[in-house]
Amino acid sequence: MKWGLPCAALVAVIALMLLIGSGRMGDPHAIDLGNRLAAPSLTHLLGTDHLGRDLASRVIWGAVPSVMAIAIVLAAGIGFGVTAGGVIALGPRPLRQAVSWLAETALAVPTLVTALVLSAAFGAGVWSVAAALVATSWAPYALASAALFDRARAEPYWQASQALGVSLPAALRRHMLPNAWPAIGALAGADAGRAVVLVASLGFIGLSADTGRPEWGAMVFEYRMFLFTEPRLVLAPILACALTTVFLHVGFDRHRFGPR
Amino acid sequence: MSATQTLQDIGRLALSWLAVCAAAFVLLRLMPGDPVEVFLAHVNIQSGPDIAAEYRAQWGLDRSIGAQFLRWLLGFVTLDWGVSFETGRSVAAEFSARLPYSMAIGFGGMALAVCLGFMLGFYAAHRHGGWADRGSRLLAVAGQTLPAFAVGLVLLWVLGVQLRWINAFGGGALERILLPTLLVAFFSIGSIARLTRAGFMEVKTSPYYRTALAKGRSEIAALWHHGFAAGGLTLIAGLAPELAWIVGGTATAEIVFGVPGLSERVVQAVNQRDYAVLQPYIALVAIWIMLVLNGGRMLRKFWDPRLV
Repeated sequence: MKWGLPCAALVAVIALMLLIGSGRMGDPHAIDLGNRLAAPSLTHLLGTDHLGRDLASRVIWGAVPSVMAIAIVLAAGIGFGVTAGGVIALGPRPLRQAVSWLAETALAVPTLVTALVLSAAFGAGVWSVAAALVATSWAPYALASAALFDRARAEPYWQASQALGVSLPAALRRHMLPNAWPAIGALAGADAGRAVVLVASLGFIGLSADTGRPEWGAMVFEYRMFLFTEPRLVLAPILACALTTVFLHVGFDRHRFGPR
Repeated sequence: MSATQTLQDIGRLALSWLAVCAAAFVLLRLMPGDPVEVFLAHVNIQSGPDIAAEYRAQWGLDRSIGAQFLRWLLGFVTLDWGVSFETGRSVAAEFSARLPYSMAIGFGGMALAVCLGFMLGFYAAHRHGGWADRGSRLLAVAGQTLPAFAVGLVLLWVLGVQLRWINAFGGGALERILLPTLLVAFFSIGSIARLTRAGFMEVKTSPYYRTALAKGRSEIAALWHHGFAAGGLTLIAGLAPELAWIVGGTATAEIVFGVPGLSERVVQAVNQRDYAVLQPYIALVAIWIMLVLNGGRMLRKFWDPRLV
């Protein structure tokens, strides 16, 4: 059961990719002006929008920027963070001080402001959002894993492995990472959720991926004038976004990875 | 705390601030688009290179990046923040007209969240597992998982359209900032309540709380009188990052409800590559964050006898 939810998440993502790849979801860009604001039916599971585009396929395509942001954040955030944590715990003194100062500074920077600045500098898009997330999300991993490394280094099994002449990378893999994983897993769940919310928020402001592509936040912005007449247009992307973040939070919960 | 240590701290902070400003300055100059060309395309001027060069000289973009930064820094310190590339108006004047809105939303929302969150956290600790405990946990999860703009739209729909309590766009200044303030408060109440609860829960296991109970005080009175300091200190520790993050929180609120605040102007400036507006904004945000984080630390040192 320990891996149940993360595995389910992986399966869901793969299923989503297959659905999109197989072309069964319909074209999210196909405009059908004769069929505007149609009610939900078998051909259009969630109905159509003001241009007659299929809402269900737009919501599902809208997951693509979010999934990309999650993947980038988890890979780069954890990668940079744990590496920096290792440097803080094991590196030479001046480097250690510099990296921990950098981590404490990065901890204080608001993600949305970073994302705004990066969107200004490099153009709006998933990459700017992801860079902002990575720039602010690596710090908690670094500080948490540095503390964990420090604690593990005092343990007899670490000293025993050193005495036995185990190489540093092997010892790290065998003794450090299994200890660090529960805390990192919980952080990762929160970060993945934040990535989804940030992509949607920036999309709503108009700074996410290019406007032609379906994206949850941009969809809410586009459909906001139908909030009162056709609430399903606004509620569908909002619900998709909220369900994704709740799922990520629950799936990566600390208790699920902790020792029994 | 000795005077030299205070001076050292101030020096360290000033250095960090300079580093952040310089990094932002360089980053903004790396933008692929040229602000002069964006501006000329925007106002539809049939321009030759001489006009572009004229604007470049006027905005100081023809000098080296180091000279530009020094000039900007001197201007910022003497409150001469230059003029916006796009509107041609003084940035300092524009900011001072917009800042009251952002501050009202941010501080109002935080004050509301602290008052409600503290009480909620207190009751959550008092009745472990009761309605306040479960409610505050729900609010904390909601604050982390729901996008702010979505909650804002729903608030607008319920309070402005279904119930017709608030005229969100046409009303006076107070009516216009009411909903954004509620939105900012909503996203902080949950985490503040959980923090406060943690502080009070710690007190519940302490011997002095049990002594108070043994002396015959009711549970709720003992927890309030003997736990107030602990709950408050935990709250201050957690509040500093929350206050630092408020900058991002007000941005969404301003855009959803069309409040003419600072963040709304900044988002415009991002789209128009208006360095002259972005640079002082980043400098101000950096000052605010440093002030809050260090202020919180000093406040805790002042109030907590254990931290000397």
